[in-house]
Amino acid sequence: MIGKRGKATLLLYMIFLAVLFLMCSTDLIIREPEKEIYQIAVIIEDSRDDNYGSFRKGMDQAALELNADVRFFTLYEKLDADQQMELIGREQQDGADALIVVPADEDRVVDALAGHQVTVPMVLLGSGLTGEGVTGTVVVDYGKMGELLGQKMAEHMDEHRTVLVFSDPSAQSGASRRFLEGARTVMEEEGILCRLVVRDGEQGFKPFTESLDAEGQVLILAESPEILAETAGILAELPDLSRRVSLYGRGSTLPVLNYLDRGLIRGLCVTDEFSIGYFSVGMAVEALETAGTRSSAVMDSWYIEKDDLRDPAYEKMLFPIE
Amino acid sequence: MSGKKFLLLAAACVLLTACEGAQKEDEKTSIRIGVSLYRGDDTFINNIRSVLEEKAKEYERQNNIKVTLDIQDAKGSQNTQNNQVERFISLGCDVLCINPVDRMDASVMIDRAMTAGVPVVFFNRQPVEEDMARWDRLYYIGVDAKETAVLQGQMVVDLYRKRPEDVDLNGDGVVSYVLLEGETSHQDSLIRTEWSIQTLKDGGVPIEKITGGIANWERSQASALMEQWLGAYPDTIELVVSNNDDMALGAIDALDRAGITRMNVIGIDGTTPGLEALENGRMLGTVSANKELYASAIMELAASCALGKELPPEYPLENGTYYWTPQEILVHGTFKENP
Repeated sequence: MIGKRGKATLLLYMIFLAVLFLMCSTDLIIREPEKEIYQIAVIIEDSRDDNYGSFRKGMDQAALELNADVRFFTLYEKLDADQQMELIGREQQDGADALIVVPADEDRVVDALAGHQVTVPMVLLGSGLTGEGVTGTVVVDYGKMGELLGQKMAEHMDEHRTVLVFSDPSAQSGASRRFLEGARTVMEEEGILCRLVVRDGEQGFKPFTESLDAEGQVLILAESPEILAETAGILAELPDLSRRVSLYGRGSTLPVLNYLDRGLIRGLCVTDEFSIGYFSVGMAVEALETAGTRSSAVMDSWYIEKDDLRDPAYEKMLFPIE
Repeated sequence: MSGKKFLLLAAACVLLTACEGAQKEDEKTSIRIGVSLYRGDDTFINNIRSVLEEKAKEYERQNNIKVTLDIQDAKGSQNTQNNQVERFISLGCDVLCINPVDRMDASVMIDRAMTAGVPVVFFNRQPVEEDMARWDRLYYIGVDAKETAVLQGQMVVDLYRKRPEDVDLNGDGVVSYVLLEGETSHQDSLIRTEWSIQTLKDGGVPIEKITGGIANWERSQASALMEQWLGAYPDTIELVVSNNDDMALGAIDALDRAGITRMNVIGIDGTTPGLEALENGRMLGTVSANKELYASAIMELAASCALGKELPPEYPLENGTYYWTPQEILVHGTFKENP
């Protein structure tokens, strides 16, 4: 039998437990740390994201780890600076806490920054722009990358000493321009003649490539990953010609790596795209958390050939797993 | 009318007008769509993804509504896809477009979507009927697998009737074929196999199955199987019937390695590499879903769900849930031009 005193103690004990439960469940004792989700808009210069596969994996990984909500935007038309500026404005208006931008036109970005049109931290990719308003930069030195490839091509060259440069000036990005300049500088110093071959409208580089009937070695340098994959695709249909052609370029998209593996591409310059995506989101979050911190990262470039694809170090970089 | 009644009526009118105004203000100017793909490296899915991105931009321009597509690759893991769905919901997606990893195991995703009140448009891999019937805001977009298979069989029947020597390559009166099948868990694999072969039989093509195997939709697996069969049955196989283009291309890879140029290969999907093989004559034909319509249907349905609007009448839904994309036969130019 429980006496009156016992009943009162039991009641008090139960009340104490109930209060304790309520305090716990209402965050009065154990307070969950409030996690702010950062809204980050990534705006690239292209109308497609084909060249951004590994970049997006890195970006998504950072978003998960750093509690960011990253939205990825492509343009309606490649290198359309007007639309890119519109998107920059729209995303700020829609509440983006930070922006990551691959400039379609660096001058327009400079103007926007000077005119204080960008009011949130901005990380620039592939651009060496610095100054007020630029929170961070992740730079790939495409000029240096071109020089590296130019040196490798010069080493592989026979007595013909001519390189066909496949280019599309109407859709040439800043990266492609700097890459070509680097490669041409080195090759011209080596006394190698660079012959420019411009895209032939809708037909692309097919008519020219098919017309290559000269005997001996042919060296082709593609200015962008798209042109590189396109040219390798053409060569895949011309087995006799492909044996005489050494195709070079840059990029690490899956089609490009597949063509390298099939021996249709002789050599490639690559960079760590996954880390670029990861660092850029990291810089944006850091800027938001530490108000105004500026940082920059310069990415290395490597020259690889088919056999390097099986090298664990390159394999990890080229085929990243989140 | 008494003064009290008049006041009440006036108050009701004011309330109604206010509600209407608020509704107009609430009209959305942006939508966010979470897209999860069963495997980002699947060629057909990649094709659909590319067209979907274009359609999202087109929708944005035409309707002046900001469209944000969050596309994630589940890499063949249902667990990963479940987490992606959870994340999409927590990020405030208005609608989900899901290409399920395991069509038998969509219930977890459906539960989460139902709890959050977020409609789901499934595509390409059809969840089981019981799951689809659980909520009236679940939809499916795909192709009619039986129609696909019948069209695939029909293209060979048509060719055989016109030029039997182009199908019965060794002229022995029997068309010897091998069969490449997709995943056993995919609803289309069995139907494609059954009806494609049935159509060949019904169309009077004298067929004989040499062998067959499951290559899980994959080019490399199909290539390995074909290489094995070419060694086991030399100079016997005349036709390769494949459940999709990727596996057909795998068979072609093996044929190329063996230096065999004369063998008919048929696929399904009309993927970009498949169409290239068709153009250069390495593949006899394929059945292609209209990818523009396929992706448009996903986009329009997703946007209608997100905005609470009616789906445009050009996308009729069967039982209010299913949309079947039209398909067509594509054959290599030589056969098309010289019937």
